[in-house]
Amino acid sequence: MNASSVTTASGTAKAPGTELPVVTQPGVPFIEIETLRAKEFLPAAKEALSAMIAERGREDLTQPVFNWAGRNSLFPLHWGLACCAIEFAAAFGARWDAERFGIVPRSSPRQCDLMIVNGTVTWKVAHKLIALYEQMPEPKWVIAMGNCATGGGPFRTAYSVVPGVDKLVPVDLYIAGCPPRPEAMLDGILKLEELIRERKE
Amino acid sequence: MEAEFPALVSARLGDRVAAVEVFPGTLGRVRFRAEAALDVFRSMRDDFAFDHLSMVGGIDWVDHREVFYVLWSDARRAYVILSTDLPAENPHIESATPTWPGANWHERETWEMVDIHFDHHPDLRHLLMPDGYVFHPLLRSFKLHEPEELEVKTRNV
Ligand code: SF4
Repeated sequence: MNASSVTTASGTAKAPGTELPVVTQPGVPFIEIETLRAKEFLPAAKEALSAMIAERGREDLTQPVFNWAGRNSLFPLHWGLACCAIEFAAAFGARWDAERFGIVPRSSPRQCDLMIVNGTVTWKVAHKLIALYEQMPEPKWVIAMGNCATGGGPFRTAYSVVPGVDKLVPVDLYIAGCPPRPEAMLDGILKLEELIRERKE
Repeated sequence: MEAEFPALVSARLGDRVAAVEVFPGTLGRVRFRAEAALDVFRSMRDDFAFDHLSMVGGIDWVDHREVFYVLWSDARRAYVILSTDLPAENPHIESATPTWPGANWHERETWEMVDIHFDHHPDLRHLLMPDGYVFHPLLRSFKLHEPEELEVKTRNV
């Protein structure tokens, strides 16, 4: 490379009229250098990666990434069953501002991964609740918010009330209170995020 | 008007009405015979201008059931209550829905809660409870169940 570049300077005493020597840069273009480097690097990286996968399993490497994404953008279903829904709504207001945790209520179960059962579940609404749950894409979580959703609450022996939503769908987390304050709801969601962090599937 | 209402009702409906009792806040509580229900409804709507049915309800008095109708008249600006007794065994009465369409859901609820059958109701099915619910929970014979027991009984709703 050096040799070729000095040749340009060799004919310093040029006779007038002679053509200027063509400056040639015989070096490889930048992009090719990068390609060459990548060709060198990639096999090594692949090797290292397959060694890690062989050692720890593919899920161990990818799952934390999905868990991290999932727990930081929990989309709860935007609905209300009874008085607890008022606290649920308050938690998304200006004062408690649940959206700072990436919790954005969505109106369609197909966009949700978290169902917060916020109120009294009656037998009349039971199969609609199951239909909504079935429509949510995996992975999904359920929080039973308040005493009603947890175990029927003050209406436990009533003729029309499901004594606990865990009779209908699997529940990951229970929040006690009648109603739980928005702080309790946010605390519950943060605890659920801890559960998701440890999820292996 | 208030004073002569019982006499007017008796004159118009004869022995289809057993008595017109005093009931505070209304023109009276008209006790009618259940077999003449349709006549009484029509007469109340057409002759006495009670064009609005406020509510229908039922009471379980253990030895018999009572069903009552609260009517409102825009022309008279007054309420009246119709009431009748039904036997505890297989209580049924003519539906008021053809007379006042607003009776539809009230009668569905009354049937569901205290098990009073309304003949010729267009759509007598559950209102507040899921289809297939077997109890009539406002009957005095209905016991509060342990949740687990109730769950078993309502599982296939
Ligand atoms: S737990 Fe209390 S506040 Fe919540 S839905 Fe039940 S009765 Fe209402």
